[in-house]
Amino acid sequence: MPDGVAIRAQDLQKQFRTVSAVRGVSFEVRAGEIFSLLGPNGAGKSTTIAMLSCLLQPTQGDAYVCGHSIRQSPQRVKACLGVVPQDIALYLDLSARENLEFWGKMYGLRGIALRQRVAEILEIIGLTERQNDKAGTFSGGMQRRVNIGAALLHRPDVIIMDEPTVGIDPQSRRHILDNVKELNRQGMTVLYTTHYMEEAQELSHQIAIMDQGKVIVCGTHAELIRLVGERTRLDLTLDTESDALVACWRSIAGIHSLLADHSRLTVLVDDSNLVLPRLFETAAPFGVRITSVMIEEPNLEAVFLHLTGKALRDEP
Amino acid sequence: MKTLTIAAKDLTHIFQSVFSLVMMFGAPLMITGLLSFAFGGRTSGTDTFTLPVTRVQVVNLDQPVGAAPGFAAGKLLVAFLQGQALSDVLTVTLAADEASARTAVDEQQAGVAIIIPPDFTAAATSPDRSATVVIYRDPTLAIGPGIVKDLVSRFMDGFSGAKIAGQVTADGLSAAGAEADQAIKDTIVRAYTAWLQSDEHGAEGAAVPRLAVVAPTGAAQPKSQGAARIGPIMAGMLVFFVFFMGGNGAESIIREAEQGTLARQFSTPTSLSVILGGKFIGVMVSLSIQVAVLVLASLLLFGIQWGQAATVMLVSLGLIVASAGFGVMLMSLITSSRQTGPVLGGVMTLTGMLGGLFTTAMPTIPASFDRVALMTPQGWALQGWKLALSGAGVGQTLVPVVVMLVMGSAFLVVGIVLFRRRFA
Repeated sequence: MPDGVAIRAQDLQKQFRTVSAVRGVSFEVRAGEIFSLLGPNGAGKSTTIAMLSCLLQPTQGDAYVCGHSIRQSPQRVKACLGVVPQDIALYLDLSARENLEFWGKMYGLRGIALRQRVAEILEIIGLTERQNDKAGTFSGGMQRRVNIGAALLHRPDVIIMDEPTVGIDPQSRRHILDNVKELNRQGMTVLYTTHYMEEAQELSHQIAIMDQGKVIVCGTHAELIRLVGERTRLDLTLDTESDALVACWRSIAGIHSLLADHSRLTVLVDDSNLVLPRLFETAAPFGVRITSVMIEEPNLEAVFLHLTGKALRDEP
Repeated sequence: MKTLTIAAKDLTHIFQSVFSLVMMFGAPLMITGLLSFAFGGRTSGTDTFTLPVTRVQVVNLDQPVGAAPGFAAGKLLVAFLQGQALSDVLTVTLAADEASARTAVDEQQAGVAIIIPPDFTAAATSPDRSATVVIYRDPTLAIGPGIVKDLVSRFMDGFSGAKIAGQVTADGLSAAGAEADQAIKDTIVRAYTAWLQSDEHGAEGAAVPRLAVVAPTGAAQPKSQGAARIGPIMAGMLVFFVFFMGGNGAESIIREAEQGTLARQFSTPTSLSVILGGKFIGVMVSLSIQVAVLVLASLLLFGIQWGQAATVMLVSLGLIVASAGFGVMLMSLITSSRQTGPVLGGVMTLTGMLGGLFTTAMPTIPASFDRVALMTPQGWALQGWKLALSGAGVGQTLVPVVVMLVMGSAFLVVGIVLFRRRFA
């Protein structure tokens, strides 16, 4: 791969009539790393991936996968890519083996090579015992595993996984995450999209956070955490709303930001051990009781909150 | 190779689907089978068909008192019915009395009972007397009793002729001044009756049999009249369900687009042309199998002679291309599989009706209807099959076949252009 770069996106844009789904996305994925696109639903992750997979033509910009332009050489791009779509894209009335054989043939595999590779993939996804069962009889997690296996058959240099753990049980989720790490350990470059920050945090060498069609920040986990100063987040609930108390707390040393939503407060602090006692001490004179406290160490959620002023999850 | 891979996968889907199998083979054969039953059941597949043998009980009460010695009309009738010439259609046994003969019919041990009255000979020989032969029949039977009645009536007509001959002879003698006594009249009646029973008039061993069922002959004639009627009906069903399956097969493009498997195929290094080509080949092969199975099954089940092999193959090719093209175009116009049922069912039924697929059993169709039919691909397909059924050669079916090929190709091009635009 040229310069050791597996994927290079340059100002990718996609316009759907009046909606700008992707607005100038640029990033680089180095060969052999796991790169996560993290963002809430509607951030533009899937559209970006569809363009990189040559399923959508960019309105503007270009991207290079394994050195091939998605505009100029889409067939070459497809040949070195394995794509795991967000939804299960399998033939449910065919068995796991028949599905894998079909997709293997679509990537040009034939004969003994195909049969051997299908057997390997069945082993990797843990479905050798049930290879002859129809995919429609599998649980959601098992179908997800076949869905992933179908993208690995041709030993792609780069694999793109679009939210592969949505809506599955914890056991299958663990299996998939372990598979991703193992594939990467074997040298495969992985572009992974998710809106679960824990997954991005666990898997990724680099993370790009997307919102409203743009990459708002990109870097390693440590680099992103440093953006919020490695501060601890406190979520507090008060028994009553008190503007005077909030004003008082803003002046306490060690508190960097405070967002108040009626009686619920989000506070970013340098050291919770020092600040928390002060909060309790100062609340009493105002006749206010702190009814719950949740302490969160610095994470990507805090980064997203810091950069966009809103939560990463789709919570109200 | 990828084209064949996609085609093979689609064929697996089609032949694993109960709905597809029913619509491909079950429905057309079942509908035609019901119509075949309505037209008199399964045919034997030979040039003639076998009449059911009717069991007849005869009660001969005839008492030839006063007639010429040796002449007994009742015995003659029994001998006539028991003759070798009628043994294929009648099994005649003599009953002891009228009651037992009627009981045999009531208990369906016999289909018909013939009661010959005591004065049968007297009535046969005397110009001014009459007698009634009673035919007692099983009301559930139609053909056998009808044949018996006809045979007895003809036999009775012979006696009437003899009586007329005797009277005319007597009148002639009287006019000449001679008197014809009863002995002369009896002699005339017996001579006439003997002549009537002679070889020239259908007696046993006669050159002309008393009863023969003859099928029409000629090139590519159906094996029976039933098959002749069923042939066009089966052709209508064949065309309708092949067109339906053409659309149903092409619907897999829409279904796969919704299931995400089409997008996944596009994410592999496979061009749109290869993917659509594979799907089209899958549809073509499934339709070819459908046509072959329906033609062979209808030949075996209903005795339908589809015509010359080359003609049938040519018309089949036209039908397959036209229906596959029409199906691809139709599916390219809809956007979701929820529309498939109403659109496929509605359009195929409407064009099928206009094409005359459901009125093949009607003996007379207005000429304007025929002209409207030729505005639809189904109408041309039906015309091709009707020509094949009539025994037409390849040259005679070229026009409908060429029209089908042109129409099918045009539909296919439109469909592919629309699909390419959608998935580009």
